[in-house]
Amino acid sequence: MTADEEISPSAAAFSDKSGIPAVRVEKLTYCYPDGRPALNGVDLTIRSGESVALVGPNGAGKSTFLLHLNGILPGTGRNARVIHSHAADGSKSDGKAGPAVWIDGLEVNARNAPEVRRRVGLLFQDPDDQLFSTSVIEDVAFGPLNLGKGKAEARRIAGECLARVDLADLADRPPHHLSFGERKRVCLAGVLACDPSVLALDEPTANLDPRGRRRFLALIRGLGCTKLITTHDLEMALELCGRTVVLDAGRVVADGPTLAILGDQTLLEAHGLEMPPSLKAGREA
Amino acid sequence: MRLDALERHSEGGSGPLHRLDPRAKLIATVGFIIGVVATPSGAWRALAAEGLALAFAVGLSGVPPRELIRRWLGFLALVGFLAAMVAPGHPDRERLGTAAVALAIVAKNSLAFLAMMVLVHVTPFRALLAAMGRLGVPTLMVSTLQFMERQVHILADELGRMVQARRSRTFRRSGRLDFGQLSGLIAVLFLRSFERGERVHAAMLARGWDGTIRTLDGADER
Repeated sequence: MTADEEISPSAAAFSDKSGIPAVRVEKLTYCYPDGRPALNGVDLTIRSGESVALVGPNGAGKSTFLLHLNGILPGTGRNARVIHSHAADGSKSDGKAGPAVWIDGLEVNARNAPEVRRRVGLLFQDPDDQLFSTSVIEDVAFGPLNLGKGKAEARRIAGECLARVDLADLADRPPHHLSFGERKRVCLAGVLACDPSVLALDEPTANLDPRGRRRFLALIRGLGCTKLITTHDLEMALELCGRTVVLDAGRVVADGPTLAILGDQTLLEAHGLEMPPSLKAGREA
Repeated sequence: MRLDALERHSEGGSGPLHRLDPRAKLIATVGFIIGVVATPSGAWRALAAEGLALAFAVGLSGVPPRELIRRWLGFLALVGFLAAMVAPGHPDRERLGTAAVALAIVAKNSLAFLAMMVLVHVTPFRALLAAMGRLGVPTLMVSTLQFMERQVHILADELGRMVQARRSRTFRRSGRLDFGQLSGLIAVLFLRSFERGERVHAAMLARGWDGTIRTLDGADER
């Protein structure tokens, strides 16, 4: 397997029983507002329940790709502009190009945005981007309230989700009184409170200390939904994900079983990555 | 640079003013400020009575007077400038003289400022926001204040890191940043705030925000 050779999973291996993949992306193209290309014809299919690591060098387009899964950035088969619309009919899409992303068979567009955003839980890399309320419980309840739950119900859901991440006793604290790891777990609780079927995690272990990282990995492992994890932490990819996709310069350059991808030294080096130490040690032994 | 000092007294305090309903405290403070503003210039006895009432509240609040004086001195520079600008053209100048009018402006502004300081020292900001919501202040305004409070902490942290990084590359005895450095830092902070705002907005959309702010405060509508 070489860097130039595209590694594709066999269609049979990754097809869902119902025939509808959890995530389907076709020829997704996106340019930043200044015209720089970010994604250049990305194709990706993820079946329900699968855990996929999305790896690549800085600037490869990983985070930008995640923002397309719930329509925050409206990529299409052609170049698209940034849309930050929160109104159902507020789309500014040029309407000339076809859709590029489907979640559980549902096309990601302005009309389907509320349902798509309920199904896709997006965890941002920096918890301070996600936490904006004055107390932890308010922040975790933000999603359920937006989904139309009553206040008592939203409070109950938020309490349960905080308990899942072991932070029930911090419910009334302001977010800026929490450690980085705690803020990250609050963010995860806020995402889980929306009961998503697909979790898109952007660098979930970045900046966490080893104990915080282990705790976060255990939490992610315990979640049964479909997971797409962008990361530079290849040990985590090895531990949590059966499949790995390498993205570089806005293109998928490799896609296959994690062991095969992360064991390919030539491929990894060609795309600014490094073989995980545990894998390297195993090979040297 | 953390702003935790602002909350040191309001969070977890157990004085009689801490235990009062935040709505009552908010109404009392706004009422006091309106009273102070409505006091005519030259009504020194009325101003003294208002000052005494405020001193009583400060005593009850348990806030160290030194803390209040420190903040008031910072405010004094601003209000002193204001008084110097306004007093010469004030209609009461003929009757009372410029100095007395300036003194009245400083006294009234100081009383209002100190009343606000006492309020924020005995009421957590979240409780104040909830009280404002329950008193019928428009949700948009309460939400804006809520965002401001959260982002002020984040930006203060960010500014602290930037100042630290800049100082670590400044090879002079004085730790003060010159005007050029400071303006550069503020410009970068502004740009970062803008980008942060974009990301916070994206994160809110990702959790189903449709433009309406909903909070846990209050009872269910249905």
